[in-house]
Amino acid sequence: MENLIIDETVYTPRINLDIENGLIELVGKSYPENTFEFYKPMMDWVESYFSGNEQAKTIINFEIIYFNSSSSKLFFDFFDLIEEVTEKGKYVEINWIYDPDNDSALEAGEDFKEDFVKLNFKLVEK
Amino acid sequence: MDITKLEDFLDDSGVVFLSYGGRLSQDLISNMTEALEQEAEKNNVSLSASTNIFTIFVELSQNMMNYSKCKSECKGSFDPKGLVLVGYNKEDNSYYVLSRNILDSVDKDKISPKLTEIKSMNRDEVKKKYRELRRSGLDKHNQGAGIGFLEIAKRCDNIDFKFTNLNENKYQFMFQANIINK
Repeated sequence: MENLIIDETVYTPRINLDIENGLIELVGKSYPENTFEFYKPMMDWVESYFSGNEQAKTIINFEIIYFNSSSSKLFFDFFDLIEEVTEKGKYVEINWIYDPDNDSALEAGEDFKEDFVKLNFKLVEK
Repeated sequence: MDITKLEDFLDDSGVVFLSYGGRLSQDLISNMTEALEQEAEKNNVSLSASTNIFTIFVELSQNMMNYSKCKSECKGSFDPKGLVLVGYNKEDNSYYVLSRNILDSVDKDKISPKLTEIKSMNRDEVKKKYRELRRSGLDKHNQGAGIGFLEIAKRCDNIDFKFTNLNENKYQFMFQANIINK
């Protein structure tokens, strides 16, 4: 299994999936045309990572400035997957990073935090 | 055509950004969104208001793009004329994102009751419904009047819409989201 980096575009975030450092990182905007296709490599990577390739501790940094509704659904599925693996005993910390002036980004983070109460989900001011 | 008349009209209506959405593509939408970002920066729009404007602009444009794609795959006539614009209202320091396109009556009948419901909801109800729908996953491949309009309602202060009958099975659909710059 290898690390995966997807470069940022004007409508998709930079994705950094790093095995050695146990790091899953998304930074940027998210409104791809075909959201599920765009994120499939990431979702596949995350599944194989947590199938025995993971570090003792995994950090997820999520810094999405704004996103469309299909990305919102995809992120929900992503956190759902993370909740599943934590229930199997994997240790994961999620940092939802937001600009304090961006109310919607904070609100989106709060919603996910409430939807996934079992996750170690932190709201982190930038 | 007298272009100054158009400019005067756009000025009077507070239109700050205009796009023609005939056949929208993803590249066109992202280029317009980038231009809109520069416009917002120039006009000192708050970060909260501007990210909401971008999200709504993207949502409405992608809606239109998907609708026209879906229609051109089907048989039958399709009128691709569409419009998305962003305007500013000096009186209450608010922005609006407005879209207009042509819908079949079947689609109008699908969208209209959902929008009527969303319009009647308060903020908390919109949030609750949005999260329920997202959790259910039911809306995953359902294009039109699903979670997208709830996303818009969540990110603005109020919405408005209107269907105007063009002929027996075509309607002009006008949708507007108002965002207060606070």
